[in-house]
Amino acid sequence: MQVFKLCLKIFKKNLPVMSIYFGVFIMVSIIMMSNNRPTEQAGFIQAKTRMVVFSEESSPLIDGMKEVLSDIAVFEAIEDDENQLQDALYFRRISYILRIPENFTEDFLAGKNPTLSVTSVPEATSKIYIDMRLDQYLNTANIYVNQIPGIDAQTLNTYTLEDLDYETPVQMLEADQTFGEEGMMPYYFNYLAYTFMFVVIMGISTIMLVFNDLNIKRRNACAPMSSTSVTLQFYLATMLFSLLSWALLAGLSLLFSRNELSDSNTLAFILNSFVFALSSSSIAFLIGNLVKGREAISAIANVFTLGSCFISGVFVPQAILTDSVLKMASFLPTYWYVRGNTLIAISADFSKALMIQLAFAVAFFILAIVVGKKKRMAIEA
Amino acid sequence: MFGHIFVYRLKVLLRDKSMIFWTMIFPIALATFFNLAFGGFSSQGTFGTIPVAVVLESDNIAFADTLEKMSTGESPMFKPDFVTPSQADALLSDGKVAGTITVADTMALKVNQSGISQSILKIFLDRYAHTTRTVSRIAAIHPESLQNMDLTPVTFTKDAPITTGNLDMTLNYFYALIAMACFYGSFFGLEEVSLIQANLSRRGARLNMAPVHKLKAFIYSSLASYTILIGEMMVLMAYLIFVLGVNFGSQIGLILVTVFIGSLAGLTFGSFIAALVKGDANMKTGLLIGITMIGSFLSGMMFAEMKYLVQTKFPLLTIINPVNLLADAFYALYFFSTYNRYLLNISGLLIFTVIFALSTYWVIRRRKYASL
Amino acid sequence: MIVKVDNLVKRYGNLVALDHLNLQVNAGEIFGLLGPNGSGKTTAINCILSLLKYDKGDIHVFDKPMSPEAYDIKKDIGVVMQDVAVFNELTVHDNIDYFCGLYIPDKKERKKLVDEAIEFVGLSDYRKFYPKKLSGGLLRRLNIACGIAHKPKLIILDEPTVAVDPQSRNKILEGIVALNKQGATVIYTSHYMEEVEQICSRIMILDKGKTIAQGTKDELKNMISLGEKITVEVFDITETQLKEIEALPHITSVIYDGKLVEIRSTKSKNNLEKVLEYIKTEKISFGKIYSELPTLNDVFLEITGKELRD
Repeated sequence: MQVFKLCLKIFKKNLPVMSIYFGVFIMVSIIMMSNNRPTEQAGFIQAKTRMVVFSEESSPLIDGMKEVLSDIAVFEAIEDDENQLQDALYFRRISYILRIPENFTEDFLAGKNPTLSVTSVPEATSKIYIDMRLDQYLNTANIYVNQIPGIDAQTLNTYTLEDLDYETPVQMLEADQTFGEEGMMPYYFNYLAYTFMFVVIMGISTIMLVFNDLNIKRRNACAPMSSTSVTLQFYLATMLFSLLSWALLAGLSLLFSRNELSDSNTLAFILNSFVFALSSSSIAFLIGNLVKGREAISAIANVFTLGSCFISGVFVPQAILTDSVLKMASFLPTYWYVRGNTLIAISADFSKALMIQLAFAVAFFILAIVVGKKKRMAIEA
Repeated sequence: MFGHIFVYRLKVLLRDKSMIFWTMIFPIALATFFNLAFGGFSSQGTFGTIPVAVVLESDNIAFADTLEKMSTGESPMFKPDFVTPSQADALLSDGKVAGTITVADTMALKVNQSGISQSILKIFLDRYAHTTRTVSRIAAIHPESLQNMDLTPVTFTKDAPITTGNLDMTLNYFYALIAMACFYGSFFGLEEVSLIQANLSRRGARLNMAPVHKLKAFIYSSLASYTILIGEMMVLMAYLIFVLGVNFGSQIGLILVTVFIGSLAGLTFGSFIAALVKGDANMKTGLLIGITMIGSFLSGMMFAEMKYLVQTKFPLLTIINPVNLLADAFYALYFFSTYNRYLLNISGLLIFTVIFALSTYWVIRRRKYASL
Repeated sequence: MIVKVDNLVKRYGNLVALDHLNLQVNAGEIFGLLGPNGSGKTTAINCILSLLKYDKGDIHVFDKPMSPEAYDIKKDIGVVMQDVAVFNELTVHDNIDYFCGLYIPDKKERKKLVDEAIEFVGLSDYRKFYPKKLSGGLLRRLNIACGIAHKPKLIILDEPTVAVDPQSRNKILEGIVALNKQGATVIYTSHYMEEVEQICSRIMILDKGKTIAQGTKDELKNMISLGEKITVEVFDITETQLKEIEALPHITSVIYDGKLVEIRSTKSKNNLEKVLEYIKTEKISFGKIYSELPTLNDVFLEITGKELRD
């Protein structure tokens, strides 16, 4: 078991670098947790957006306005400071800033059509949404001001709010369907792809670098050990390494989403990630056979993992990616892994995604062996 | 002597493939991935015409009129499709329409999911109902005024944009990326210090033996590194602006100044770590990558919202993170008409640079070593 | 006096690396610094070059006190360190030109010097090669060329032949002698006594940071009692006969390992003759027989009681 032991020693030496990536995974997962969304909702829920209101006066008209807006918006408390407001808008903490000037109510009641100043993310759906509601409130009030001259503020308020207190009945196509986020488990499992791929490519190709070293190869060839035994021990060690990395990451994912463990999908997520682990390991073998030099390996590992994760929807949801990018990504197992997770999350059939990943695993593995053989022959010749 | 050291240093650096990879190719590759991934991201949340199925159970001229108005013009709000109830359900379950409006005495809405498009449809219908209620109330209490009633909507809001730039959140990813690239320039600083220190490299020992002023040699050599770094940054910026079309606003001059200062900060950061931290080159490189990556992460390079979170919850972290200062300088330049925030960032960055440079000087001015 | 070191003390924590070292190198010498690994050779060199801080002592080079800023001294020194210190990104020519350029700003003059240095170390066929393509021996030669291209008056070579093939080693040693003939004073450190013996005009033996002996090789060998070592391959010899050999005049010890008899003697003119005579009269049948003069290893062995090489 000399070869096996050596492999484990090399893994151990690379542990500090890899633990950085495990650390990043944990850090990002914790941040995602703090970003938690409501897990389940049934029936139709009116969308709410975040906004800020700065009012230089208060009156029944303005109180009514706020009341009406509160159906579709959440009021955030942000200091009236250009820097803070800009940042809040930019990072979508809020999407709408409403400023009510002094004497607005007076001018409004006098029919002077005063204006409110609105700052928003331009052309955002959320802006149109709030605009519609705000316009409706003020226009309704305006009709009363125009048609009932001298109407007092209190009556106006009552009439307008009464008129607006009606909601259109909304029916769901499938009444018992639940909506919204499916929980956080798919996110953790998606993100696992990045860390796992990097760690496995680095780990496996570093070992192969050592074994593909010509002098060591020759020395091994001279040793009284069958080459099958060497190869077998090598694969055993790398498989153990992959398996441990996978178990650790999958375990962490499950730990972070422990509230959702009872879901029937949990096993499917584990299975999907296991198959992904196989295909990633095959890729790592291929890279290890193709690339020489430690520097080159870390370059390839970084670019390949980041690249495939970005275009396959690990960092950015697949729904947001353009079709051409997704088409490109579908040549990568990562894409099918993420796709599988998405399907599992909605309890759909994910066997196709699973099969494709398996096919990738086999194809890359065979390719790795062929490339490795070719290289060996080149060395011998 | 300047020309000799400078030219040879350029020659050496230009052949250092792994250096060029990490300081130029890697950021360009990352930018390309950002661009691929965020291609559809910047239009997220931007309003697009909502497709809707309309089932007419009874004629309602007033409603048809309103819907018509909302569905024409330059950027119509709805794209109605008049169909039978069963067709409507099919469209809805295929996700071809956001919802189905059933026109009867009272309007009804049928949807397949909760979302902002569906919510807009709902308040559109609400609005129709609300106006109907208003009109009937006035008819009841002031029937005489019904004749000259004007229902033309009045606009009570006016837009007051906070910035001339568009609030595209993906820009922040690129700003953080440039900052990261500048700080990857720290690899140059690391290399320069180990080349001048006899206790860090054999070539350093050799240089220490030459009749050359050590500090001068260091500055000449570092200038070559700086030149290469600036060159690489220019390639990156050109790639971002001309190939990927990332918008940096109009202040090209100040943007370049920012890149120059950022690169200098990165370079001196590397020399600072190389000079002050004990340990071998691998460990120092690891430290540089680690600090730069954490800095970029906190500046929102992986999740833009991270930057906001840090800014609002841990403001101190934004000040002591030079990567963020740099990324924020680009942000301030693009989004603000005044220079307060930009200057604040730049001063912070310059303070860091000066600290890095002085500490480096403090270490490398010593010419004799306790051990080699 | 080219180099003068007085009472140099260098400590690393509790370890005394150099213990009141005194050393003088005269113009035109090839001065050998011999000692086992860890004896303080490299430390001494680094102190002379003002690379290392030292605890005590005075160092003069070219009769001027040495310091890191003594550029007028440094410009006449050429150093070849133990480890290869070249840029992998520069060709053979560019490496030499770069290091030479730190000493010789004038381009024309430098071109001549660089060409000469390349010629000198025999790398003419490899001018455009990058160091990674060179074999270990050629790399060493490049390393040397980088140190000496500017024709320094004092050349310091710190174990330049470690891990070098015999052919390159000879080339290097010949080169050092040639440089010396051209007028350079050479300080040469090594733990290979044969090399030092071969080229050095004066030798200092260091052990544990202390000078244990110095002088020309003959002077050194005269310091010890061993005069000659006679080895005889015998096929049959009795205990008595061995005792009788040991009793011969000047013979100090006789060791028999079952095949070879090693006979050590003090200095005397005809030791070998007497041994041969005894063997003849006793009719001891023998194969090879040879006599060796003492080596520096014997000197080291006799003074310190241990072998120079472990």
